[in-house]
Amino acid sequence: MAKMNIKGVLGLVLAGSLALSLTACGSNNNGGNNAPASDNAGGATNAATEKPASGEKVTITFQNIYPDPTDPKNGMMKKIVKQYETDHPNVKIELDSLNTDQQKQKLKTQAASHEVPDITIVNPAAQMQPYVDAKLFAPLNDMVEQNGLKDTFQDGVLDFYTFDNNLYALPDGNNIGVVYYNKDLFQQAGIANPPTTFEEMIADVKTLKAKGIQPMAIGEKDTWTGSFLFMNILLRTNGGPGFLSDVAAGKKTFEDPAFVEAVDAMQNLIQAGAFQEGVTSFDYNAGENIFKTGKAAMYYMGSWATGGIETSEALKDKVGVFKFPTVNGKGDPNQFMLAPGSAFAISADSKHLQETKDFLNYFMLNFPKEAFAVKGAVGLAQKVDGDFKAAGYSDMAISVLDLFKDVKGGDLSFDNTMNPGTSQGHLTSIQNIFVQKKDSAEVAKEHQTAYESNK
Amino acid sequence: MNVLKVSKLTIALFVLPCLILYVCLVFVPIIVSLYTSTLEWNGIGSSKFIGLDNFNKLLFHDAVFWPAVRHTLMFAVFSMLEIPIALFVAILLSRFVKKPNFLVSSYFMPVILSVVIIGQLWKTIYNPASMGGMLNQVLDWVGLHSWSQQWLTDPDIAMYSLYFVALWQYLGYHTLIQFTGIQNIPSDIYEAAKIDGAEGLKADWYITLPMNVPIFKISIVLAFIGSLQSFDMIMVMTGGGPGNATDVIATHMYRMSILSMKYGYGSAIAAILVVVCLVATVVINYGFNRLERKYT
Amino acid sequence: MSQSTTTAALPRIKPQRKFSIGKILMWVLLSALIVTQLYPLLWLAIYSLKTNEEILSGQFFALPHALQWGNYSAAMESGNYVKYLLNSLKVTLITMVGVLFLSSLVSFAISRFKWKYGQAVMVMFLIGMMIPMQATLLPLMIIFKNMHILNTHWSLILPYIAFQTPIAVFILSGFMKSIPNEIEESAIVDGAGVFRIFWNIILPVSVPPMMTVCILTFINIWNEYILAATFISSERLKTLPFGVYSFVSQYSVNYGAIGAFLVLGALPVIIIYFLLADKITKGMVAGAVKG
Repeated sequence: MAKMNIKGVLGLVLAGSLALSLTACGSNNNGGNNAPASDNAGGATNAATEKPASGEKVTITFQNIYPDPTDPKNGMMKKIVKQYETDHPNVKIELDSLNTDQQKQKLKTQAASHEVPDITIVNPAAQMQPYVDAKLFAPLNDMVEQNGLKDTFQDGVLDFYTFDNNLYALPDGNNIGVVYYNKDLFQQAGIANPPTTFEEMIADVKTLKAKGIQPMAIGEKDTWTGSFLFMNILLRTNGGPGFLSDVAAGKKTFEDPAFVEAVDAMQNLIQAGAFQEGVTSFDYNAGENIFKTGKAAMYYMGSWATGGIETSEALKDKVGVFKFPTVNGKGDPNQFMLAPGSAFAISADSKHLQETKDFLNYFMLNFPKEAFAVKGAVGLAQKVDGDFKAAGYSDMAISVLDLFKDVKGGDLSFDNTMNPGTSQGHLTSIQNIFVQKKDSAEVAKEHQTAYESNK
Repeated sequence: MNVLKVSKLTIALFVLPCLILYVCLVFVPIIVSLYTSTLEWNGIGSSKFIGLDNFNKLLFHDAVFWPAVRHTLMFAVFSMLEIPIALFVAILLSRFVKKPNFLVSSYFMPVILSVVIIGQLWKTIYNPASMGGMLNQVLDWVGLHSWSQQWLTDPDIAMYSLYFVALWQYLGYHTLIQFTGIQNIPSDIYEAAKIDGAEGLKADWYITLPMNVPIFKISIVLAFIGSLQSFDMIMVMTGGGPGNATDVIATHMYRMSILSMKYGYGSAIAAILVVVCLVATVVINYGFNRLERKYT
Repeated sequence: MSQSTTTAALPRIKPQRKFSIGKILMWVLLSALIVTQLYPLLWLAIYSLKTNEEILSGQFFALPHALQWGNYSAAMESGNYVKYLLNSLKVTLITMVGVLFLSSLVSFAISRFKWKYGQAVMVMFLIGMMIPMQATLLPLMIIFKNMHILNTHWSLILPYIAFQTPIAVFILSGFMKSIPNEIEESAIVDGAGVFRIFWNIILPVSVPPMMTVCILTFINIWNEYILAATFISSERLKTLPFGVYSFVSQYSVNYGAIGAFLVLGALPVIIIYFLLADKITKGMVAGAVKG
């Protein structure tokens, strides 16, 4: 035992890895060196998950972000899955339902160790780029042609998931940024019509505030909420879409007048007292709830919020929507913030690639019909056949659907356009102006610094 | 003093099972992290070796990092300041209360609550009065409106509000640990002291305090661990915001390696975290070894 | 430390005056603590019976308009309460046994054996004591992938044990060092081997710190979610935190159901804890007597 210095320690480490690799080989009995009272755990669980008996039975892992059993999307997913399993008795779909944050983290960890589940969820454009670059997803070009699946999608929406002419994911939604407003509260404040210019909007904010009505609600703890609104202002001050791609192409910098003007406008809105107190500690839900309980007059959000607002008791028949107005006379209200939704992608390493593609094809074909039935068809990425009015969708939902018809292009959210590092810098910077007024030029500079250090 | 002379095989039997598991699952990952901290890597695609660039950037050019370190250390300091209070409560409980178990257990309850609930609870306390915040409403009600604050969203105050939640949550935890320690002090020592004229709080000063030194060490180590790992609660309460006002090392690491997809940079933060742990461990052990030598 | 045998808890001081100011102050303090520390449970119970809107409106003292028992049925059925509870209990119990067993062996070796590397091993454990589990997520993923234990309970139990052992070794070896040497010297005279000394003498005496280790382990892993969410994918293997977070969707959260789920999740723990609280303290005292 005398000479056991560094060599000895190394020996221990080696012995350790050896022991681990041994357990790895006989993966069924790794109860050896730990807990004595525990033999059924490893064995039982291993056998069932991996390796189908003789290639006959196939298990497909379907990672998704519809975990809430009290949410209609969860029920509809389970329904389609069950139907498929009945039709294909040899296929078992294993649902790994996670909340959004956790799914993102899990997928990143899985991607790093090349353990991507058969089906997973990604966000469009810049956010899925790293995965595509690492060749983790299977192209779906052939699959989307089968059974006419491609034609069920709205024109152009698949572009956000296409890289070098290869389609890698199929979206569950396609939304636009709109302003919801509470007609009753507007009336109480003596405001006849929703604002058509940003200046009018700020005046309305002041009028509402003077009447003791909370003008707007937002859940700025989640940072992307404020960014989404800010980007819509930028879409106007820039006189049209494409500011961020111009920056990325080196044609503009964040210190461009259009950007500074947008920051100014945003600060004007905040300083006019538009948002509730303590806004940065309200998460998305708590923020939305202020509007849903009829306590705030306006709410800027993606059209996905329609379902939740529609079912709110306090707002029955009181809500209208309007397009985000022009800012300083600039921009076109028919250009919207575009929010193509999270999308289903298939792992390139899937052991049952064909079966997985077949299932996803079936799933997407049935998706619009089932979503329509559970009143979740506002903001789908696919075309929906059906009479919304007759199916009991509210007037508000139908007016949101009408807005979709006016869409003449627009911008994606910041984090769908820029790389993750720059996006984080942007999100933090915008959150900051909610709590303290800053020099707009300085905010622009912060952005430029973040962009340059993350190039 | 260690007295048992045993064969190598016996030593191996006692030590190796645990050590192997520990080395493989704690040490190896740390070493891997040290390696990835020298990479420019988004965690998914290809990586590039960049030497110590990540550390250079982190230590000298990252405006968020040092405040995050300060918040983490302050967190630890505040948690430690709580230990004397916990000791005092533990002394009261073991000395004056007939059936202390119920109280000890009750005080302990917040520790087992999920962070989701703790976050919700404290938000309803800290919110602005107009949003139903309890604390500000109470302040208004007793005529101290000027004391009311934006507890979670004023960058100068938010961090303190978070420290306080941690203090509240872990008070019972430290009380329990101190209580256990006191229970194990032999009573004849107190009786001997009584003959010498030391009774009550005086006896506590001369007996309980020094006898409990090893327990303090445990408490302090636990307080430190808790502070370094105070991630969930901050994420639920403020998410590190507003801006970066409530970022600690752990949230900064998460923001970098997961949200910003700079895994290499995140690993560099992890490496620094390991160093902070090491320094803390050394300092705590060194300090206590001296204390223990003095008192035992 | 001398071999003190007549012991127990602190001697309770006989009440001299029935109502001293100090005593009143003390009871005010202790009762105030009861309120601040136990109120959250009551608050949680009320919370679990509210609607989402009531919860999100953030009124601290408000009571629910109508009791939403539906939250509980959602938690029981949709939240898979029973299945997740059993999984959590299994993982936690195996982890606790594993931590106690492995760390007491090492602590015994470190504190009682005469060997060269005891201190070195101790230092190794100290180094890992403060490392957050989450920082090692990716390396662990790769290790478990190669061990083929992803998506099994082992992928939780093994790291839970590994990350709890340092603090356990720290506490247990500290305690074992304080056990007087005379005990095992006389045992050796009686002809007892190392294993008997460990099992029959040292372990029974070490009950109090082992209880502490149990409690620490429990607190650290019962609500653990990041590792669990990353390594477990199968529905039937998931643990209680999955149930809590299953009510969190991308654009909506069912807070009432979360509250109900947490009540259901905390209930067995609270019951067990209060039932055992007496035994735990008695065990501690008994340990002290034997020492």
